[in-house]
Amino acid sequence: MTTDSKWGKETLRQMLLIRNFEETADKLTLRGKVPGGMHNSSGQEAVAVGVMSALDPKDVIATTHRSHHHTIAKGMPVNIVMAELFTKATGCSGGRGASMHLADVENGHFGGNGIVGAGVGIAMGAAVGIKQMGHKKVAVGFVGDGGVNTGRTWEAVNMAVIYKLPLIIIVDNNQYAVETFVERVTGGNDIAKRGAGFGLPSFTIDGQDVEEVHKYTLEARNRALAGEGPTFINALTYRYYGHNVGEKGQYRTQEEIADWRSHRDPIDRFSAKLISEGALTQADYEAMINSVAKEIEEAVDFAEKSPLPDVSTILDGVDSGLLGASK
Amino acid sequence: MEEVFVPAVGMAMDNVVLLEWLKNPGDQVTAGDVIAIIETDKTTMDLTCETSGTLGAHRYAINSEVPAGQTIAVVLAPGESE
Ligand SMILES: Cc1ncc(C[n+]2csc(CCOP(=O)(O)OP(=O)(O)O)c2C)c(N)n1
Ligand SMILES: [Mg+2]
Repeated sequence: MTTDSKWGKETLRQMLLIRNFEETADKLTLRGKVPGGMHNSSGQEAVAVGVMSALDPKDVIATTHRSHHHTIAKGMPVNIVMAELFTKATGCSGGRGASMHLADVENGHFGGNGIVGAGVGIAMGAAVGIKQMGHKKVAVGFVGDGGVNTGRTWEAVNMAVIYKLPLIIIVDNNQYAVETFVERVTGGNDIAKRGAGFGLPSFTIDGQDVEEVHKYTLEARNRALAGEGPTFINALTYRYYGHNVGEKGQYRTQEEIADWRSHRDPIDRFSAKLISEGALTQADYEAMINSVAKEIEEAVDFAEKSPLPDVSTILDGVDSGLLGASK
Repeated sequence: MEEVFVPAVGMAMDNVVLLEWLKNPGDQVTAGDVIAIIETDKTTMDLTCETSGTLGAHRYAINSEVPAGQTIAVVLAPGESE
């Protein structure tokens, strides 16, 4: 199937933006600019961009501790994301959240969080609200291959099935939970089958193929809007860097990483497809890479120059305002 | 020019102590060489260089404290100066 040129270029640019963001932020983290831990999603761009490009801006997402790619694909400007990583006042969470607590509730981003397996439950709650209020939108909950071994994930899937909620569950299956290979800890070794056991459409897809991710998400969204309930999607992907920045991992081979990078890289695959179809020229592609690099450089500059939150605001956001702590 | 620096790897790593210099200013170094050994609050760690070239000045003395993220020395390519 040939790709629509305009959609293809925007999709490719988004993936490049995420890749450059992550590789830049990784280096800055090693330099001590990003307090509190940082999880790099390089390699997983197609899952984020494939899903988000099938959603409407008003749809809701809830994500995980590894959320930069979801957040950028959802549309948050990279300077705001970078500023939050730097814990600056101009970040999306006012510098309180850092890498693991990116959120923008008004724009349907219900946040990353540090609790493995929490994202699906949060999205399921949003889906209850959407259904109760009769809104024409959906909620998407992300979970990792480690997170699918938590009970709370399946409680939320079950609820979504019995109430026919407009929920899409995406397993951002990067093959590892910290140092643990997915096959070693997944009973039955088939995550989509587990989903199917709860009685909802459940698929394993190629998470390194942005068009495949887009297509399955679009179909899931249409089912949800038609009142047919949730869909479960296990997207196979791979993270190129350590679990967290600075990790010196000994649990996988360099050959394995090189194999995923050289044969299945989502950006290389999609750019090659667009170029072979004539939707993109090599010169366009190079210009795109340069413009993305410039955008990230500006984001770093913005984050560097932004102030830290003022001490006088320390109680802001601690309560709803009823106790008088927040302004 | 490559900056050899103390990586901020822990969740809350502060200063480290520079235990030992294994290369001296002006030494020819090869990618992967251990340049210095540092001690964090948990362990000791080798700092290696990723490129080959000539080592620049030691920016910290042995037993001094270095903040995480700081450059301790640079590796100069031919023709480069500090
Ligand atoms: C409830 C809970 N248990 C354990 C942890 C520690 N922890 C943080 S990330 C992680 C692995 C998660 O793996 P996965 O779900 O595959 O996500 P990935 O890191 O691969 O994106 C673990 C065990 C945690 N944060 N929360
Ligand atoms: Mg994982």
